[in-house]
Amino acid sequence: MKTLAVVITTPPYSPLTTTAIAYVEAALVSGIDIIGIFFYQDGVLHANNDIHIASDEYQAIEQWQRLHQEYQLPLHICITAAEKHGIACDSIDNEKVNEAFTVSGLGELVELTTKASRLVQF
Amino acid sequence: MTTIDEKEAISLPQENGLAIINSKAPFSSTHGKDALDIALIFGSFEQNVSLFFQGDGVYQLIAQQDGSLLSVKDYLKTFSAFEFYDIEDIYVCQQSLANRQLGENFHISDVQVLPSIEFGAALNRHQHVLRF
Repeated sequence: MKTLAVVITTPPYSPLTTTAIAYVEAALVSGIDIIGIFFYQDGVLHANNDIHIASDEYQAIEQWQRLHQEYQLPLHICITAAEKHGIACDSIDNEKVNEAFTVSGLGELVELTTKASRLVQF
Repeated sequence: MTTIDEKEAISLPQENGLAIINSKAPFSSTHGKDALDIALIFGSFEQNVSLFFQGDGVYQLIAQQDGSLLSVKDYLKTFSAFEFYDIEDIYVCQQSLANRQLGENFHISDVQVLPSIEFGAALNRHQHVLRF
């Protein structure tokens, strides 16, 4: 079984993220097994509950939440990058972190990379 | 049988490893440091990782730089730890050096300078690629 892992390094207000979401959804619809999405660098901002994009613009965060709910798509954020981007991950309830996302480390990226047949970065 | 032999002959040897392409200058963004963090994690998990330096990324290897002059943490010093992480395959694009009139005075040893075609071929031996 071919498996796919995706690395997102672009922020929620980047047009590149739109492409990434379209790509991921197309893969899911066609039955490709996506074992996880890893958010690194500015990509971690997708998990920031304090980000609000104007309502007439593309809602990347909502789209990730939807894909997570519809396909049980695992969404991992890098803890070091998250802390650097104002997303406190050390509290028990992690209220700054969007609940669709799992706080992980770079070790998770190693695991996804070794398990996946293909790794694609946006 | 013949077809299988032919197929094997034309396919490049596959290393089951990760290639990280460094394409940005060291101190104007965090891309170099972010790429380094990934390389060291893969090294500490004993996974194969190779480093490729291309474009302005070649500046990360040039000797006698000091990030502290810019109040930037000098992550380039950590490159000297690569051998402890078994990171041994470090490739630099010869054309990128030439375009910037840079010599091969690197701050770490065992760096392989490759012409574009061979640089691409070395990259092609990896299963996964990340670019920073």
